[in-house]
Amino acid sequence: MPDHVVKRGLDVPVAGQASGAPVPLAPPSSVAYAPQEFRGILPRLAVREGERVKAGTPLFSHKADPRQVFRSPVAGRVSEVRRGPRRVITDVVVERDGEDWESLRAWDRASLGALNREGAVEAWCASGGWGFLRRRPLDVVPDPARVPQSIFVVGTESGPLQPGPEVLLGTDDAEALQAAVDVLRKLTPGKVFLTVPGGTSVPALDRIEGVERHGFQGPHPSGDPAVQVNLLDPVRGTGEVWWIRAWDAAAVGRTLLSGQFSAERVYAAVGAGVRAPRFVRTLLGAPLTHIVGEVIEGPTRWIRGSVLTGDAVDAGRWASACRRAVHVLPDTVERELLAWALPSLGRWSFHRAFLSGFSGAARQVDLRPGLFGGRRAMIPIGYYSRVVSTPDIVPEFLFKSIIAGDLEESIQLGMLDLSEEEAALCTYICPSKIEFDVLLREGLELYQKEAG
Amino acid sequence: MKRAIEGLFHRYQPLFDKGGSLEWAWPLFEGMETFWLTPGEKTRAGAHVRDPMDMKRLMIFVIYAMVPCILMGWYNIGYQGYLGEGVANPGLVDCLVRGGWHMLPIIITSYTAGGIAELLFCIVRKHEINEGFLVTAMLYPLTLPPTIPLWMVAMGIVFGVVIGKEVFGGVGMNILNPALTARAFVFFTYPAFISGAKVWDVAGKGMFSGPVADGYTGATPLLTVANAAPGPNAVAALEAQGWDWSAMALGLIPGSMGEVSAVAALVGAVFLIATGLANWRTMAGCVVGLMGTAALLNGMAGPESIALMHLPPHYHLVMGGFAFGATFMATDPVSSASTNVGRWIYGIAIGALVVLVRVVNPAYPEGVMLAVLFMNVFAPLIDYFVVRQTTRRRVARLAAA
Repeated sequence: MPDHVVKRGLDVPVAGQASGAPVPLAPPSSVAYAPQEFRGILPRLAVREGERVKAGTPLFSHKADPRQVFRSPVAGRVSEVRRGPRRVITDVVVERDGEDWESLRAWDRASLGALNREGAVEAWCASGGWGFLRRRPLDVVPDPARVPQSIFVVGTESGPLQPGPEVLLGTDDAEALQAAVDVLRKLTPGKVFLTVPGGTSVPALDRIEGVERHGFQGPHPSGDPAVQVNLLDPVRGTGEVWWIRAWDAAAVGRTLLSGQFSAERVYAAVGAGVRAPRFVRTLLGAPLTHIVGEVIEGPTRWIRGSVLTGDAVDAGRWASACRRAVHVLPDTVERELLAWALPSLGRWSFHRAFLSGFSGAARQVDLRPGLFGGRRAMIPIGYYSRVVSTPDIVPEFLFKSIIAGDLEESIQLGMLDLSEEEAALCTYICPSKIEFDVLLREGLELYQKEAG
Repeated sequence: MKRAIEGLFHRYQPLFDKGGSLEWAWPLFEGMETFWLTPGEKTRAGAHVRDPMDMKRLMIFVIYAMVPCILMGWYNIGYQGYLGEGVANPGLVDCLVRGGWHMLPIIITSYTAGGIAELLFCIVRKHEINEGFLVTAMLYPLTLPPTIPLWMVAMGIVFGVVIGKEVFGGVGMNILNPALTARAFVFFTYPAFISGAKVWDVAGKGMFSGPVADGYTGATPLLTVANAAPGPNAVAALEAQGWDWSAMALGLIPGSMGEVSAVAALVGAVFLIATGLANWRTMAGCVVGLMGTAALLNGMAGPESIALMHLPPHYHLVMGGFAFGATFMATDPVSSASTNVGRWIYGIAIGALVVLVRVVNPAYPEGVMLAVLFMNVFAPLIDYFVVRQTTRRRVARLAAA
C-alpha cells in the first residue's frame, strides 16, 4: 500500500537534535510517576509514604477500576507523595534501594493467542500498561468495558526533536511488540492498525503480523495518532478508537513475556539548552537532571515532550512516562530593533513575509520562548488550514465557535477530531498570537463537563 | 543604540504601568515601545515557541505592496495637471514636485486625524494600538481625488476608524472595510468633491498651476465612455482622448490618486500573493467575475445600446479603481469571506457587481467601492453556507465510513 503523504503541516526547526546510539546510564537514585499524565485516571494510592516496594509493586491504581495499576519501576522506598493545588497527586516518588522484583505471570505467545477479550483486558491491566492506551476522542485512558472500533499501534513520531521508532525500538523489540499486538487484537472486533514511518524501514516494525500497516510521510503532524486516526478510521458516531505508541506497546509486551515489569526506557535529551543532546537508556520516570546531563548557563525552561505540546516543569522533577523527550529551552528572549519593518534575513519563519519562509525548514534554529508580537484578534488570511491535516475542518470557524462557548457548533465543526498537535501548530504560526491549543483544551473540558 | 533604547523604555515603564501616574497613556507607551523593539514577553501557555511573524509586520508589508501605486499616483497627479494645461512633455521632477504638493498633505492628514481617533479610542478602551490602522490610513487617501479638501479627508478617516472599525472592537471584529467606509462617507456626504469631471486632476488648481488648456474636460475614462454616443463607440471615444489600452494600464489617466495604474496594482498583487499576505482566490475571483460579466454584456449589446455595454472586458480591467480595489480592498482578510470556496464566490460577485454598477446603473460611473462594501456585508453569509457544506460533508463521511 502506498504511503499516506501529509501535506499540510510544519516541522518546527528547533535546534538541539540528539544523535548517536542511546547511552546506557547507571540506574537513577529515584524515579517517579506523575499520575496526571494518564488523563482520565483518578489515582488511588496503593502504598503509603515510607513503605518498601519491589520493582513491579503497584504504586497506585484507577479509582473506578482497580485492575488498572501502575507499577513501580524500581525496588526501594516510597519516599514522597507530592501534591499540588487541591491535593492532586503530582508525583509518586520511589527512592531506589535493592534489586528485588515482583513476579508476574510470564506468558507465551500461544497462551496469549488463546485469551478471550476479558482475559486480554486482565492480562494487559496486570502488566501495568493500561494507562498507556488512549482513546479518541479526548485522548483519555479508555474504559476497558467499552469496545473500540479499531486500535492504532502508532510507530511514528513527527513532533519537533521527538525520538522516533529508529531509536526507541530495537530489533529485539519485535517479539515483544508482536505479543502486545496479539493481545490488542482481542480487544477490538475491528482492525489493529500499525502506522510506520514512510520511506524507511524500521526492523522492529517490519514483520509484525495481524495488523494493517500504513506508512506516513510528510511534515508534523504526519506522525500524530489523532491525525492518523482521522485519515484512516475516523471515529464514527458515539464510537471510539484506541491508540498506543508502538514503543509503549513493546514495553507491555516485554512485561507479558518475561513476567517481570519492564521499566527500561530510552529518553532523548534535546534542545539548545542541553550541552550535549543525546539519547539515554535508563528507567521509566528517571529524574530529568539524570537524563539531561549538563545544561547551558542562564535561565532554562524544562519541557517534558515537545516545544509544541509539552509541559514546562521544574528541573527537579522526573521524566514523563508517556513522552520520551526532555527539551531544555534557553529561557531568554532577545529584543530586536525595528524588526517588524525589516526583511529580517536571519530569522526563521513559516510565513513568506520573511525570506526564510520561502526556503523551508532546512536548518536547526535556536528558537526562544518569546511571543514576538502583540495579542490581536484573529485575521483569517487562511494560514491555519496550512497546518491542519484533518479533513473537512475550517480552523477559523471551529476556534471562533469554541471562543463563543457554542459546544454544539464546535462539535459539528470537528472539535473532537482536531488533534492537539494541529492546534499547537496553529498557535505556533498565528500572527495574532492566539493560543489555539489552550482554546481547544478549554473546549474539550467544557465538553467533558457537559457530557458528564 | 539598542541598549540605550531598551534602557529608556525600561526607565519610564513604571510611569505607564498600573498605578503609575500616566497609566491612562499606556496604549501610547506600548505602541511606541513595540514600534522600536520586538516585545520581550515570554510564552506562558500553549506552544512554548512562536513564529516571529506578527501583526505589525503583516500590516507594514501590505503598505510595502502599495508603494508602486503610491509612486505611480504621485507622478500621475503632476502629469495630469500639466497635461490639462497643455504642457506636452512635462519633466519627471516637475511632475513629482507638483504631485507631492497635492498628495502628501492628504496622506499626512489621513494619518494624523485617523491616528488621533485611533489613539483616543485605544486609551478609552484600554487596548493596544491596532496596526491595521496604518494600512487603512494609507489605502483611504489613495482612493480620493487629488483635489479633495483636507478637512474632508480628516472627516472621512475619523468616520472610517471609529464607525468602520473601533465601535466593533477594532481590527478583526469589523464588518466593513474601514478604508472604504471612510471613502463612502465622503462620497455620500460631499458628492460634488469626489465625483463628476472636475475633481480628478489638478490642472489650473493650486501651486505650480497655469491656465487650463482649451477643450480639456478632465473626465475619467469611465465617464468618457459613459458620455459617449450609443453604439459600439467605447474604444473610439477613449482613443479620441488619447487613451489606448496600454496607456490606461500604465495609469496615465485622470482618477483617484492611487487607483490609476493597473500595472502598479498588479505589482502589489504579486507581492501580496508571494508573501502570503493576501489570498489569490479573492483576486482571481474578482477578475473572473469582471471579465465574465463584461463579456456577457458585450454579447447582449445591440447597436442602440449605450457605449458602456460595448466596452470590452479587458478595458474594464484597467479602467477606474478595479485593479486597486481587487488587490487591496477586496482581499482585506477581515471583511472578506474567509473560506476558500467563499473567497471565489465573494470575488466573482464583486467583479460582476463592478460591471453592473458601471454599465447598468445610471447614477454612478464607477462601482468598485460599492461592490466591495456590498459584498463585505454578504461575506459572513457566504462563509456560513460554505462552512455548513463542509460540516455536512464531514458528518456524511463519518456516518458512511
